[in-house]
Amino acid sequence: MASVTTTTSNAPRFRALSESTEKRPTNRLGVAFTYGLLILGGLIILIPLFWMISTSLKTADQLFTYPPKWIPNPFAPENYTNVWSTLEGMSPQLSFVRVLANSLFITLLAMVGEIASAAIVAYGFARFQFRGRDTLFFIMLATTMLPGVLTQIPQFVMWRTLGLVGTFDPLTIGALFAWGPLYVFLMRQFFMTIPREVEEAAILDGANTLQIFYYIMLPLIRPVIFAIAVLSFQGNWNNFSAPLIYLTGQYDKYPLVLVIQFFQGSLSKEAPKWNLMMALSVMLAVPVLLLFARAQRYFIEGINVGAVKG
Amino acid sequence: MDLSGLNSYLSTLSHYLLAAVGLIAFMYGFYMFQRRIGIKREAATGRTLIVPWAAGFVIFVAFPVGASLYLSFTNYNLFKPPEWIGLQNYADMFKDKYFWPNLRLTLFHALLSVPLGLIFALSIASLLARNVRAMGFWRTLYYLPAVIPPIATILLWRWLLSPDQGLINTFLSPIYKLLNVQPLQWFTDANLVLPSFILMSLWGVFGANTIILLAALKGVSPELYEAAGIDGAGGWAKFRFVTIPMITPAMFYNVITSIIAALGIFTQSAFISAPADAGTFWNYNIYVQAFTFRKMGYASALGWFWLIIIGVLTLFVFRSSAAWVFYEGQQEKS
Repeated sequence: MASVTTTTSNAPRFRALSESTEKRPTNRLGVAFTYGLLILGGLIILIPLFWMISTSLKTADQLFTYPPKWIPNPFAPENYTNVWSTLEGMSPQLSFVRVLANSLFITLLAMVGEIASAAIVAYGFARFQFRGRDTLFFIMLATTMLPGVLTQIPQFVMWRTLGLVGTFDPLTIGALFAWGPLYVFLMRQFFMTIPREVEEAAILDGANTLQIFYYIMLPLIRPVIFAIAVLSFQGNWNNFSAPLIYLTGQYDKYPLVLVIQFFQGSLSKEAPKWNLMMALSVMLAVPVLLLFARAQRYFIEGINVGAVKG
Repeated sequence: MDLSGLNSYLSTLSHYLLAAVGLIAFMYGFYMFQRRIGIKREAATGRTLIVPWAAGFVIFVAFPVGASLYLSFTNYNLFKPPEWIGLQNYADMFKDKYFWPNLRLTLFHALLSVPLGLIFALSIASLLARNVRAMGFWRTLYYLPAVIPPIATILLWRWLLSPDQGLINTFLSPIYKLLNVQPLQWFTDANLVLPSFILMSLWGVFGANTIILLAALKGVSPELYEAAGIDGAGGWAKFRFVTIPMITPAMFYNVITSIIAALGIFTQSAFISAPADAGTFWNYNIYVQAFTFRKMGYASALGWFWLIIIGVLTLFVFRSSAAWVFYEGQQEKS
């Protein structure tokens, strides 16, 4: 927690720092060394990703050739449809449309709840004085340290008592209760940068709390909402443990992550269909990648500052 | 799409809306109640606004944490009421023959991958901080693995590290031939499971850490470097005595979050079956005990043991931080 207070003092300086204040490496050897290492690091990141895409476009007989084939020949884009017909062959409910709908339903419902509740709670913590506020805020941040497994078992018992295991409810309804303390924290930081005069002017004009929140504060924190929406989408889209606990066996409700687990479990050890597997992995990654590409502007900057702050 | 599928969406949607409306109604009632008993408008509004979190905390955190402590002293299989057995679950835990393998794998993985990740991230970040050309490109490139879903990363590395046809062994095969040794078996060799997992984790996280540390490096005031230069410090001395102390707060944050994340690892074990002697990640074992074997009490005991481990490690990092984390504006004790 100590780092929160001290590093925020550095934050305004980020932007003020002009690029030219630090020297570019001057000697040729230093330049070559710098770029050489950066390129090496870049290759370590890119080669596996390239291999994932390349594998997903290979026919089965190209998987195990030596030397390895970087560019598939012939291309097999039909892997992306074949994997779904294979899955439908295993269980008719595992169709592409159905699985995509399940994934999107869970992700979007949880995302909307998370953002709305986090914004409301963050506003309460940022702008209103009441006794016990700082203690409660500290408790909220401390809960991020709790291992999720500790609460999972009693939560499962609770949902089971309500007869809702095997439905989408446990994966979505909790989001209404600000289950992401990190998002509350990030939004609170942004609310606190907004000058109080903005609200005071609105109060003089006769606006009530709800109106101020909805018409004035929310538009002002739009960049952080955008960034959190991406993070939340990513978190819920990738969430694996909750669907595993609550939906295993309910094929009609499988999100993509469970389908992948099901598919890899059904693969034979002797001839794993890595091309189909990689096609599924690419399909899992694409929506998240697209979102990040679109939101990058808000993102890398905003989240870095937040992350360093606290 | 058939109608039965639609029904399952609609039923959850209606419960979701019901919960939202109920929450708002409760907030309204809570506000009115506070005003009625004479609480000032500001305090009442503030307390009302944090109700969603407070209610969630009670229902989804505080009560379950208490309940799991109770369950950890019982024998509970969901079908019969919990039966009190005292410390039996904890005793069983230490007697389990996979206790040490599981503990070893999870702890060593965290304690090795976190510092290694930090060192890699710091080296790349300090290269990037030299104002290289096309900064945006490098930043995006190094952030890429953090955006790839963990499951995709795990499957990809399982494929890369596949013993017979994986790309890594193909790359290494000239070396194997030169040294006349058998190819490494990675995830199927009990001795190599830990290094394989560490390799995979490093690839997944070091880029994101790089970006965080880069922001911290950029925040170091240039005057400090100038002052150090006047005092005759060279490149390495500047790095060691200016850069490192100034970015320790960011490193500290990084260490804490990385350790907690590493101790919470779960998905890896669900997708990679390594030899049992090499251990499985602690949290995955909890899942298996609870939801495959229905030993809810025993799994709760494993969870509480883990809470203690996490607490001890975090406390250790916090305590040690006085020795290595430097805060600007804080007097150096001499």
